[in-house]
Amino acid sequence: MSSITGDFVAKLAEVWHRFTLPETDRQTLADMLAPMDDAGEAVAKHLEFDMEPADYNDALEDLAPEGKQA
Amino acid sequence: MSDDIAFLDACDAADRIKSKDVTAVEVTETAIRRAERLQPTLNAFISLEAEAALTAAAEVDARIARGESVGALAGVPLAHKDMYYREGKVTTCGSKIRADYVADRTATVIARLEEAGALYLGGLNMSEFAVGPIGNNVHYGDCHNPWNPEHAPGGSSSGSGATVAARIVYGALGSDTGGSIRIPSGMSGVVGFKPTQTRVSRYGLMPLSFSFDCGGPLTRTVRDAARIMDTIAGHDARDATSSRRPVDAYEAACMDSVEGLRIGIPSTYYYDDMDPDVEALVEGAQQVLADAGAILVEAEVPDHEEMNLIWAAALASEAATIHRKWLVERPGDYGDMVRRRIEFGLYQPATRYIEALTMRDTYLRDYCATAFRDCDVLLTPTMPITAPKLVDVDVGGSEDMPAVVLRISKNTRPISYLGLPALSVPCGFTPMGLPTAFQLIGRPFDEATLCTVGHAYQRGTNWHSRVPDLAQ
Repeated sequence: MSSITGDFVAKLAEVWHRFTLPETDRQTLADMLAPMDDAGEAVAKHLEFDMEPADYNDALEDLAPEGKQA
Repeated sequence: MSDDIAFLDACDAADRIKSKDVTAVEVTETAIRRAERLQPTLNAFISLEAEAALTAAAEVDARIARGESVGALAGVPLAHKDMYYREGKVTTCGSKIRADYVADRTATVIARLEEAGALYLGGLNMSEFAVGPIGNNVHYGDCHNPWNPEHAPGGSSSGSGATVAARIVYGALGSDTGGSIRIPSGMSGVVGFKPTQTRVSRYGLMPLSFSFDCGGPLTRTVRDAARIMDTIAGHDARDATSSRRPVDAYEAACMDSVEGLRIGIPSTYYYDDMDPDVEALVEGAQQVLADAGAILVEAEVPDHEEMNLIWAAALASEAATIHRKWLVERPGDYGDMVRRRIEFGLYQPATRYIEALTMRDTYLRDYCATAFRDCDVLLTPTMPITAPKLVDVDVGGSEDMPAVVLRISKNTRPISYLGLPALSVPCGFTPMGLPTAFQLIGRPFDEATLCTVGHAYQRGTNWHSRVPDLAQ
């Protein structure tokens, strides 16, 4: 389970982006980030060494139906 | 003067202009008159360029009078989501921050529409920076749904759906990053076409997310959408991601038969948790297509939960990169919901972002192998609900916001992550008089089959010819 907290998000804002996150925003942002963090952790297990984002463009072309324009 | 000409579709209007049955100036004057009459109710325009449109219309009429050949959309008034750049013109992106931004280039798709003779009537209301499926806007005022102005028009291409539904313009470009063409078309009762990723140039289109942004049309009929797609699709050297694959003939594909085509009905996810009225109307649409000769089959689809979450993470990472300077320096100039949805991208590690993009290949191959194993296209509800009341979904950046957004965009966002083509087609009205729609999903670059199926449905029904009471 993700352990992202409002304080953690506030620290990132301060260190990475050099601004102070309002108190009221911190927990809401942490609640939005946590499920994505969990999903990312699950998805990362499927990554293989030689994969890269550009493979997606080949997939689009490969998966177009046969008999159509090519 | 009668407004009868306003109720034609774009193809018929173009044909009648070309045959001198009506002039482009008459068509444009009608569109301007309707835009001005309905603006206080719908708030669909951010800018109206009446004089320039009339000048361009007169030029079309003059060319036709001289016997010159004109394009497939000559003299047809269109208007576009106010995020398509036109050199030297203000493009607000629905924002306060870019309220005075003068574009330094013209979007390729705008140039292609101009070459086809289409007229530009104005810039349309939209969700700020194309973020949000509701269609509200704190800077320019909310756009309203023509079927009931208390209800949301859908976003983020809100003005595009509203102006087409209200028979002001004959078509409008929107953009779709997670459903922003399909959702407003569904809520406003018009056709919405999101092409395959890389099929339509993004050059000169305000960026929200480099990986998921798609431009496409909202129109009254599938055939109109096909004609606009015939005009705008195809390789553009100025968009580095643009596909070099040749373009099919979409309007011609509308005339093909659905006899023997296999339409997959997903057995999980897309039909979960639906409004019963929407469910009944979408099932009715399935039957119309079966009666036309299509074969309905059950289709399995992979799990969508992780895909939806990593789409959101990747989109926010890209949006936050684009907006970082303003998020830090001018946070108060964003609406709360928009700022919050972009801002969380500031806190994603780079590895999470790259993982999300890297897995897109795997998810796409898995989805196509599973979902399209026994069918040519999938048919799902565009949304599980109809247009909500604006007051009920005006949640700003509160803790309720993610659930509201997910409910509306549940069936559209996975298709944006995968980059597949999708066509939203109106399929009837609930007892409250609100439109509903189904979504056809195709294999990559198979827009033509979507045109075939969507047009076959509209040949067998007349929902697309209904006009909101306030637009009569």
